[in-house]
Amino acid sequence: MPHTVTLFDRLRIERLVWSLDQRLYDLPSRNRVARRREVRANLLEAAAEVGAAQAVRRLGSSRALADEYLAAELGEGPRHSWIAAAVFLLTVPLLLNYFLGEAENAYQQALTATGAHSDATFTWSGVAWLQSSVTFVFHQGHASRSGGAWTPLVYVLLFAGAVLCGRLWRALPHRRTAQPD
Amino acid sequence: MTSSHDPQLLKGVLSLLLLHLLAERESYGYEVAQRLQGAGFTDVLEGTVYPALARLEREGRLATRLVASSSGPARKYYRLTDAGHEALTAGAAAWARHVHTVDAVLSRPLPTAPQKGS
Repeated sequence: MPHTVTLFDRLRIERLVWSLDQRLYDLPSRNRVARRREVRANLLEAAAEVGAAQAVRRLGSSRALADEYLAAELGEGPRHSWIAAAVFLLTVPLLLNYFLGEAENAYQQALTATGAHSDATFTWSGVAWLQSSVTFVFHQGHASRSGGAWTPLVYVLLFAGAVLCGRLWRALPHRRTAQPD
Repeated sequence: MTSSHDPQLLKGVLSLLLLHLLAERESYGYEVAQRLQGAGFTDVLEGTVYPALARLEREGRLATRLVASSSGPARKYYRLTDAGHEALTAGAAAWARHVHTVDAVLSRPLPTAPQKGS
């Protein structure tokens, strides 16, 4: 018996499609969009026939469906993860900046505590390997600092860390060829 | 009609079933699932069929085209490629051999079961 697909039904379907989409970020965006549209179209068709609740139930959980899609598109076994690489690249620079900033603050406070209130310039070589030297200038009781940029090694480590974290070598084309049955 | 199938067994033949259904006529995902259920596989969920179609498409056994629908979004129709037809032929032959071999074993007479207490 045909069912009327209400606004609530559409919201329910969109919620599942969105949830599925969030788990398919490791797919190329064109494939991800195509899967999303296909699942939405099929769900709307099913909802019109058997009702949204039954249609959603028969599709199963978005997590299981996403796992099946990822295995279908990328093959079985361990896979790369762009999400993991992106999380690494977003969080590690924030943490690194925080700790380097704290180290610079500590150095400046140490200078202040030792009575460096007169006009003077101090240079700290920075955290070894990770940053360039930091220059502190004290002028009329105010302190300013410059320098402390990341060294090229930091960028290399960030790149290597992202590759390792996301297992990105598995995304190389020759590793994604279809396996024969 | 059978209402329940061994999931492992079904997983092994789902691709073959899908290839055969799509060789009969091209269909979109939900329609394929409906046809499969109509054929007696009532416990096969759509969530199993759609990724299986995606896998066959990735393997080059299915081609797709979008067809506008008056009742909603465009439907993605699947049809067999040449590689799909070859896979269907090979798969059907392998299945026939499999059934023949299994039947040969299952048709052997069993010894009389010993009675309890004897």
